[in-house]
Amino acid sequence: MTERRGAVQRYVEHVLGRVGGGSAVGKALRKVFPTHFSFLWGELALYSFLLLLITGTYLTFFYEGSQTEIVYAGSYDPLRGVRVSAAYDSVLRLSFDVKGGLLIRQMHHWAALVFVGAIALHLARIFFTGAFRRPRDINWVVGVTLLLLSLAAGFTGYSLPDDLLSGTGLRITNAIILAIPFVGERLTYLLFGGEWPGGDIIGRLYPVHILFIPAAIVGLLGVHLGLVWRQKHTQFPGPGRTERNVVGEAVWPAFALKSVGLMFVVIGVITALGALFEVNAVWLYGPYDAAGATSYSQPDWYIGFLEGSVRLFPPWETRVFGFVINNLVYSGIAVTGVVFGGLLLTPWIDRRLTGDHGVHHLLYRPRDEPGRTASGAAAIAFVGVLFLGGAQDIIAGTLDVPIRTVTHLLQAAALLGPPATWFATYRICRSLAARPGADGSERTETIVRDAGGGYRTAAITVTTIGAAEPAPPADEPDGEGGP
Amino acid sequence: MNTGAYRAAVASFVVAIAGGLVAAVGYATDHTEKMLGLGLAAAAAGIGIGLVSWARYLDLSEHVVQEREVLAVTPEQHREIDEEADLTRQTLGRRPLLVWLSGISFASLLAGFVGPIGSLGPKPRGERARTSWRPGSRLVTPDGQPIDGKAGPNDQLVTVFPLGHVGVDDSQVVLVRVDPDLLAPETASKSVNGWVAYSKICTHAGCSVGLFGVDNRPPDVIRQLVCPCHQSAFDPLDGARPVGGPAPRSLPQLPLGLDDQGFLVSTADFDRPVGPIAWNEA
Repeated sequence: MTERRGAVQRYVEHVLGRVGGGSAVGKALRKVFPTHFSFLWGELALYSFLLLLITGTYLTFFYEGSQTEIVYAGSYDPLRGVRVSAAYDSVLRLSFDVKGGLLIRQMHHWAALVFVGAIALHLARIFFTGAFRRPRDINWVVGVTLLLLSLAAGFTGYSLPDDLLSGTGLRITNAIILAIPFVGERLTYLLFGGEWPGGDIIGRLYPVHILFIPAAIVGLLGVHLGLVWRQKHTQFPGPGRTERNVVGEAVWPAFALKSVGLMFVVIGVITALGALFEVNAVWLYGPYDAAGATSYSQPDWYIGFLEGSVRLFPPWETRVFGFVINNLVYSGIAVTGVVFGGLLLTPWIDRRLTGDHGVHHLLYRPRDEPGRTASGAAAIAFVGVLFLGGAQDIIAGTLDVPIRTVTHLLQAAALLGPPATWFATYRICRSLAARPGADGSERTETIVRDAGGGYRTAAITVTTIGAAEPAPPADEPDGEGGP
Repeated sequence: MNTGAYRAAVASFVVAIAGGLVAAVGYATDHTEKMLGLGLAAAAAGIGIGLVSWARYLDLSEHVVQEREVLAVTPEQHREIDEEADLTRQTLGRRPLLVWLSGISFASLLAGFVGPIGSLGPKPRGERARTSWRPGSRLVTPDGQPIDGKAGPNDQLVTVFPLGHVGVDDSQVVLVRVDPDLLAPETASKSVNGWVAYSKICTHAGCSVGLFGVDNRPPDVIRQLVCPCHQSAFDPLDGARPVGGPAPRSLPQLPLGLDDQGFLVSTADFDRPVGPIAWNEA
């Protein structure tokens, strides 16, 4: 040994000398990741989740998941002497009497809002570029499950402070479960420990929020990322990019530096949000009180579509054989089921409608697939109208229009908006696809020879800097890897 | 080399170091919201921007090409899977009785665990069909004040509970007084001196019907009870029938009477379940 070796090198060799797998490490560091700004949403979600775990752990040291009634005696004057639950009391304590506690709590809440938002953007990116197609249909299902888990994490966390607003949310949840035919009543008794309000729900949501859901998210996240690693990333068509390769940056150091950089920027931005903008000021709402309710009560943004569905759905009850199907069964359960069922089944619905069963690693630009893009836009329009419906009282108040008018307009929009959006999006895509690209590239008709030996024209983007080989079009199976 | 990115990286890391110190000072001096938070934010964002600038300075936007592995099942693997399946059939599958018994025993084990799930909550025993209201229960406000049934202002909402059961969720009631001549006949039969009382729990999703509004604009005066959650509206003059929003059923009316001291009392419990109902409570 003439050469002096660094501590890290020696340490890595120590470990590898005992567990093997030396070649995998080198391979992992040289793994290639394509770059595009829209590929960052998933990372954004991952890093806000990391921050949620860290801040959440801190909060558990102070939070108490109990509905036992006590008299508040902390340092927030307006509520001193009021009977509150131990849970609410502990949230006030960690907000006002724990040094730095409020900052961590607000960071946690902001991180949750960013987390779900990043997942939604990530989902949109995956859908609108066709990354959900085979072989990634399996990871699409994992991803939608992660979205459901993140919504469950958000809702349970939102409910823990046991304030008036979140208590009202639980009251509505109880009513929706109660409406389920056959098992509703028994189920609410099991979940809440008896007739509403029971006495157990806060204490039960706590382990669900801090143990079950995070454990499920961590596990599925491992599968999600493992599959990305195994199947390799998708990429947009471009010079030298084919269905058979990945063109991009190596993990070390280029991708790692930027990604870790992004992580710290995300943490910084969420910390700044927590420091500057008050969020979920539960001391203003007051403790949960059976007979209390406030106007302009809105849930966190990601529950907004469900709130809107419940507000906009007409007062229909179906009576069969002396039994009743409450309108909450439609507005609370069926609509949610349609939205998430549709999301889960998207790869299969897409296959049925387009007949595209092929394996795809190259993405398409949304405009190049007008039918798919229009369908996605219509779905967003539907959920978007429901989201507005969740704030129909605020809209009516702000515009000084009767609530009834706003409700009727939004009901009409929920029915007519999606088809209108579908046609508008379809036409926009068609006209955009006919235009030259922003980078001066021209859209030309190109003759492509497909795997079966046939010839046909395909619309692809050919950039002026010598394209190495034309990318196979995204809308046809290219035969590679497929049956 | 890209000296701009180099300078940006240096500046970012310096800001990050300063940010951590600011945060420490903020905590020590009890400026735990803005100073602590912004210090930490600067530290984290400084590190992040520093790392990204560093990458930009190194100009690593390389275009590495890596071949994809084929993910398909090869004919050989296909055959192997078939062979394993055959082997399983020939070994485990030789005794179908054992296959069935083992499967049923797993199901039985799971069924055995259903019991303890039942301990999570009591069986419903008709609690939802009754509330704490009894014939003669005095109406009291949340701070325990009884209501003088002979007088009182018109068109004001009061939340009341039965005496001794203040705060019990299913027994919350909205009480309003209106001109008795305005009341529909059936509604009037359960009222006293213009006082009408309804369950305060919205029949839609169970929020408290906390708003009472009088619209004096011509041509008609409109009175409505409104649930602030989903904007269901009820007509207090006519049995609180739903007149807008998603609520499908009227609010159950509490029949009122006067006790010997002239205070408002209930003469019976509600005649049907209050609030949102289960499928068999139609």
